[in-house]
Amino acid sequence: MKQKRWFMLVAILVIASFVLAACPQPTPQVVEKTVVVTKEVKEVVTKEVQKIITKEKVVTKEVVVTPTPVPGEEKVTLDINLGTEPPTADPALATDTTSVTVIEQLFLGLTDLAEEDMHAIPELATEWETPDDGQTWIFHMRNDVPWVWYNPATGEVEVVKDDDGNPRVVNAHDVVYGVKRTLDPRTASDYAYVLYVIKGGEALNTADPAADDLDALLADVGVEAVDDFTVKFTLEYPAAYFPQIASMWVTRPQPEWVIADKGDRWIEPGFIVTNGPYVMTEWVHEDHMVFEKNPHWPDWDKVEGNVERIYAVMVTEASTSFAMYENNELDTAGVPLDQMDRVKSDPELSKQLTIQPIGCTYYYGFTTPKAPVDNPLVRRALSAAIDRKTLVEEVTKGGQIPANTFAPKMIFGSPAGDPEIAPWALPEDMGGWGYDKAAEEARKWMADAGFPDGEGLDILLMHNVSEGHAKIAQAIQAMWQSVFPKANFTIETQEWKVYLKTIGKKTPLEDMPHVWRLGWCQDYPDENNWVHEVFNPEQGANRPRLSFDDPYVGDKIKEFSETTITAARTADPEKRKELYKKAEKLLVDDIAAIAPIYYYTQVVVTKPWLKRHWHDTPHYETWVIDWAAKKAATGK
Amino acid sequence: MTRYIIRRVLWFIPVLLAIMAVTFFLAYITPGGPFDFAGEKQLPESVRQNLMAKYGLDDPPHIQFIRWVWNALHGDLGPSYYYKGRSVNEVLSQTFPISAQLGALALLLGLLIGVPMGIIAALKQNTFWDYSSTFIAILGVSIPNLVLGPLLIWIFALKLGWLPTARWAVNYKELILGFFPPPDKLWPFFKHAILPAVTLGTGLSASIARLTRASLLQVIREDYIRTARAKGLPERTIIIVHALKNSMIPVVTVLGPMFAGVVTGSLIVEQIFAIPGMGKFFVASVTNRDYPVILGTTLLYSVLLVVANLFVDIVYAWLDPRIRYD
Repeated sequence: MKQKRWFMLVAILVIASFVLAACPQPTPQVVEKTVVVTKEVKEVVTKEVQKIITKEKVVTKEVVVTPTPVPGEEKVTLDINLGTEPPTADPALATDTTSVTVIEQLFLGLTDLAEEDMHAIPELATEWETPDDGQTWIFHMRNDVPWVWYNPATGEVEVVKDDDGNPRVVNAHDVVYGVKRTLDPRTASDYAYVLYVIKGGEALNTADPAADDLDALLADVGVEAVDDFTVKFTLEYPAAYFPQIASMWVTRPQPEWVIADKGDRWIEPGFIVTNGPYVMTEWVHEDHMVFEKNPHWPDWDKVEGNVERIYAVMVTEASTSFAMYENNELDTAGVPLDQMDRVKSDPELSKQLTIQPIGCTYYYGFTTPKAPVDNPLVRRALSAAIDRKTLVEEVTKGGQIPANTFAPKMIFGSPAGDPEIAPWALPEDMGGWGYDKAAEEARKWMADAGFPDGEGLDILLMHNVSEGHAKIAQAIQAMWQSVFPKANFTIETQEWKVYLKTIGKKTPLEDMPHVWRLGWCQDYPDENNWVHEVFNPEQGANRPRLSFDDPYVGDKIKEFSETTITAARTADPEKRKELYKKAEKLLVDDIAAIAPIYYYTQVVVTKPWLKRHWHDTPHYETWVIDWAAKKAATGK
Repeated sequence: MTRYIIRRVLWFIPVLLAIMAVTFFLAYITPGGPFDFAGEKQLPESVRQNLMAKYGLDDPPHIQFIRWVWNALHGDLGPSYYYKGRSVNEVLSQTFPISAQLGALALLLGLLIGVPMGIIAALKQNTFWDYSSTFIAILGVSIPNLVLGPLLIWIFALKLGWLPTARWAVNYKELILGFFPPPDKLWPFFKHAILPAVTLGTGLSASIARLTRASLLQVIREDYIRTARAKGLPERTIIIVHALKNSMIPVVTVLGPMFAGVVTGSLIVEQIFAIPGMGKFFVASVTNRDYPVILGTTLLYSVLLVVANLFVDIVYAWLDPRIRYD
């Protein structure tokens, strides 16, 4: 019977483990523990701010004096979560924010975007000029940024030498190569179209990769090295926003000799040659990346940052990432929606919380030729009947900002928040009408359009499958229903790629939903990337199918089109702002082609020992860690 | 038996070809392609054309499929469309061992807990032991990993601080023979593995326990057990030697597919614990319309499945000598 007893023992153990696992739900009582720990840290930080700068210098010297491989623990390390495996680190191929974040650390652009308002500031280019009001752009580059290579055998960052043994310095030819490589159809870059503004860019990119005249087309692209450190761009048409395009990853200098040698694999550690403040020393796919300080980057004494090593994990699940943050394994992390209430009410976590606007907008688009939303009054009534304030406060909860324009405030030329545009979309505290009045007017507009109380109105709203989108759609459906009680609103969902196809331009009108959800994030921070590239009926993507033949607002649509085209070609910044304000008003208010809903925000918590910046793409070289405080808190 | 095995192995070829053909054409007819959009941005037709041409997607589908089969026969599963510069071979060889480690541990745990639990429940039928293990089994099947995982993290990592919150202790570069964790990392390996293995193993042990119980209850009512009892054999010998072996047949039957499913990764468990396994590729590849990854993951899963089922059939013959193939 011994055997039986043994079984019993196992069974008891099993039961015990299950009881443990099924422990009572988390109670807020226990949370206080964390609070005490962070409090101590917080006090240290206020005193440490002065010390950080001196400490930073000491560390820099250390790197210069002893270039032997130092074990990672001794370096000031920043722990972050990339959120996912970056699909690439190749500047010509990146399309997503994770890849762009990685590229930002590794490759410098001709220009950079300022933290506060995203205007173009010098990076590789020290200054630039346009002799002919935006058609030609000449960038003068600095000559002291070397290409570097991380040597995995020695653990050192080495300056790359050319065949004669001289250091390779980033120059105009590297920029020309980078731009041409992005546009080359053989590279098959998803983002090449951003460079169609460059003369000959579209002709090259759309050519048959096997064509004989490819070399001629390559030579015809409007980018040339005037001398080793001056690069000249000739554009198809004047574009005042070109310095911002020059900050994008697709225009960054690329090392031709490495790419020619290693092909697609040139971005792997051990091969990759870069010029940014950090080098990539490790890339374990799906798991983590390690970046180390590039001691040859010439601007270390111009930034306050002291991060010497970045350990970037790829944790997809937001709740896990947040748990790691609470466990001091991450220095900063996003806050999952279901933790928002707890973070806000927790005395310590609420201090670590930042809600930061980002360059993205959530909107509903209308299929403008499709009845009954072919009538702009119906569209405007539907847009005005969305209670944006309640939506962001009760449904999305991430501090999002009610939107009355397509482009958010940080985008150049955006009149976001200006109550002259769609005041019905803004709450009273933002200078708008407030929802009560907006709903009142919406009822009138709907009645004027022939649908009193929404009678006879049958609207199909479609969004892609996602819990978040579903919540928003249901809330908006309920708002519409209460304003237009006799109307019928139906919600349908589709899988993402099927959805994108459905709301594409090739779908016959009868199969299109009346209203569809989308978002837009900036490629570069200028209204041209928004109202023009997304909605211009002649040159933009134009999903709402705006047409000059529109029986109601054809003339306004024509005016909108002319306005964005003129604005793209206007050099004077003030004049451009005026034009974009007009375009936004036409788009959102008069034509009501879309219902902007909110501007996105990122909701993050940051440990008290980290002083971070808020560039649109993180610039880790500017972040400061109080290393002593971090070591004390993490016990390392 | 040898002839049987050879015959079965030869059958793998048409079975796998059929699976791959169906998968390929299902992927092909699904609306949306890999290069229609970058995020929410519709790519210009010209750019899409370039990308399609680069990956040979402008050829007719049957040509594409034949080319894929031909390359696969040469051990080349093609490039990933989404992860630029990575091949499907790389993706699978980097992520499958990690998933397999977790899956093997979870399955082991499932067996170690599930089988004894089922036996106790069967032997003590309609007693406290039976009810409590049945209750636990139902609980184990019903608690989704999505709940159990974060709960375990919260208790054992955040509150008690005994175990790491997430991630895997070893990566594909450190594996020995492409599968085993290096000896100096064994301790962190188990520390990291314990929570995900328990999360994944709980559900498995519950289904194994229920099957074991049901099957054992049936077997101990068989005539030959009564004969054994009548002979005056000790109860322990009857159960272990005579009943248990036979009652394992249904358990072994589910173990085949369970094995294939579990070693190719669980999307949810891997996501919650940030484990760099291949679970996510089953879903992400479809979302991204990353055709070569869809085909590669399906192929690996199918091969494991048919091989595991073959093993199951062989084990049948050992468990129950009445079963004969030929």
